[in-house]
Amino acid sequence: MNALACSWRSLVRQPARTALGVIGVAAVGALLFDMLLLSEGLMISTRNMLESMDFDIRVTSTDQMPGRGPDIVDGPAAAALVATLPSVSSVITLRREDARINQGDSRPAFGSVVGVGGGFGRPWTVLRGTDVAGDQEIVINEFASQVTGAELGASITVRARCADGATSPPPMDLRVTGIAEFTFDILGESSVGMTDISLADACGTPGAIPADFLMVKSGGDPAGAAADIDALSPALLASTNDEAIGQLQQRGFTYFRQISTVLTTITVAFALLLITVLLTVSVNQRLGEVAALRALGFSQGRVVLDVLWESVLIVGLGGVLSLPLGALMAVWLDSILKRMPRIPADLHFFVFQPEAIWIHGVLLAVTALTAAIYPMLIVARLPIATTLRNEVVG
Amino acid sequence: MHTHRRRARVTGRVVACALFGILAVSTLFAQEAQLPSILVARQLAALEGIEIGDEVELTSGEPGGDIRRFRVIDTYEPTPDPMQLGVASRGVRMHLTDLLALTRDAATPTGTEHVEGINIALQDPEDAREFADDVNARVVGAYALLAEQAAGAGNTFVVLERFHMAIATVTIVAATVFLLALTVMLVEERRATVGVLRLIGFPARRILVQVLIEGVLLAGVGALFGLVLAVVSEDLINRFFQWQYDTALVFVHVTPTVAATCLAIAVPLGAVATVVASWALLRSGGLRLAKR
Repeated sequence: MNALACSWRSLVRQPARTALGVIGVAAVGALLFDMLLLSEGLMISTRNMLESMDFDIRVTSTDQMPGRGPDIVDGPAAAALVATLPSVSSVITLRREDARINQGDSRPAFGSVVGVGGGFGRPWTVLRGTDVAGDQEIVINEFASQVTGAELGASITVRARCADGATSPPPMDLRVTGIAEFTFDILGESSVGMTDISLADACGTPGAIPADFLMVKSGGDPAGAAADIDALSPALLASTNDEAIGQLQQRGFTYFRQISTVLTTITVAFALLLITVLLTVSVNQRLGEVAALRALGFSQGRVVLDVLWESVLIVGLGGVLSLPLGALMAVWLDSILKRMPRIPADLHFFVFQPEAIWIHGVLLAVTALTAAIYPMLIVARLPIATTLRNEVVG
Repeated sequence: MHTHRRRARVTGRVVACALFGILAVSTLFAQEAQLPSILVARQLAALEGIEIGDEVELTSGEPGGDIRRFRVIDTYEPTPDPMQLGVASRGVRMHLTDLLALTRDAATPTGTEHVEGINIALQDPEDAREFADDVNARVVGAYALLAEQAAGAGNTFVVLERFHMAIATVTIVAATVFLLALTVMLVEERRATVGVLRLIGFPARRILVQVLIEGVLLAGVGALFGLVLAVVSEDLINRFFQWQYDTALVFVHVTPTVAATCLAIAVPLGAVATVVASWALLRSGGLRLAKR
């Protein structure tokens, strides 16, 4: 019988102990797997969202993140200026404000209104109907449609509340031409898309069309186009998708990366402790048995290998179980974190990545090997004659 | 206030050292008396090299907006916000009248500006609900909310607390399994001893009580050790993360409630794990347990 089969039989002989060990490793391994998904999840998810918009540069007025700093005072003029660059393919302006919408006497829906101007591409995908073509037209998301009961062709009233708008902007009646999915839709909030001119009217400042930021599609070289925009005007700061992700890594949500690192360390240490204690106690209870095997002619290496295989089997079985368990837990934990205010519906904190499985496997393998060191030493240094004598006398 | 849509421009320091004599000092005092005062966020002061006593110019950021001079009388520590971790605060705080004067457009008559909210501290916080109902019944155009309602169920802190609770639950499950495995093995190790005790007349109930007391003692000592470790490391963890993020946010705080919850979970869990692990053993006969 080889070492693996022998170890398997040792484990099967003590089913309760083995089952508890495997379940313990599965629980710890699931937490470890989730922390690995959390460590880069937000970055991957944000990158996916940014890249899905087909724009590779954002232009703001300061180094603050888009929407957090001061507005670009004249959005259309800035967009027109940027569009003159040969390295730029397309430019749109974006402005987001809070709004309340309702259809007739329907229940009001609260959310945001996005005003877009300039070239091609919009931060929404039309699911039904047609896109906004004029200043009296809007698209709304499914949630707004459900709350207000507004369908294609319906007229709805938008009351915007704008940061730099009039104190009491006039309500505006606009026609719904499409139901759309917005890239940065927030769960449980209404979204309305319209032209920048319509939004300026809704804010009660028809002459002023500011923009939170510009979105630019480069001709193929985002870094070069961003440098051209920076050189164009000191009032415009361009950042590529990669730079935006870099900023987010440095400034936003780093808390989750930190907590992921801390919990990864703790879970690995916990798993190490669990397996070491299990194997050590198990070996201590079988010292007589091991001494007998040695007396029968089993080599030192062979009995040490038995212990190592036991560790590998417990960690291996627990590790395999931990993957589906971790996936379920990730869905649960993600749903908790997504209740944070102003989190886009498509943004996820736990995102699967193939590397996570490899790192998970390597960490567990190292844990299995490290945890087996002390019990292997006990077995290796076991005095055969003394142990057998103690067994008989005891 | 935050300066999300305000543009701050530092014009330079007062060249106090260039002023000589009593007349000059008097002039400086007169200027200081005239300039409205502001507080600057500690991080903004560090970023821009602003010092206490400096003059700064602020504008609303609107085209053609008024530019006004202020004197920095101190710095302040911004209210910690987990969503702003790693983001240097660029806020200043000023008197509301100064803010309204700075942001008011020509068409808005003085005294008709709006504010986003009013925070009210009551003599007796217990009256909050009644007070809010009263305001809502009497004041048109304003809506009063209790502080916890204003924060909302989706508040970042509340969500983070739920997330930590979920992680803690998973950790407790893993720890319970660990504890069970350990107690099963420890009980197995004492199989012969228990057998002998049974053979010399100890009833199973008596041994079970002994095992239970052992479990409670072990779990209690373990839980206390854990609490001491948490209290000792609390300051260390806070200092590290406060340094890391340049924030006053408190990351770990072992409150009496947290300590009591830990004890309330850990001690019964340890005791129950010991009893459960011993149960099957004690149901076996003394001879069977004692046999070699």
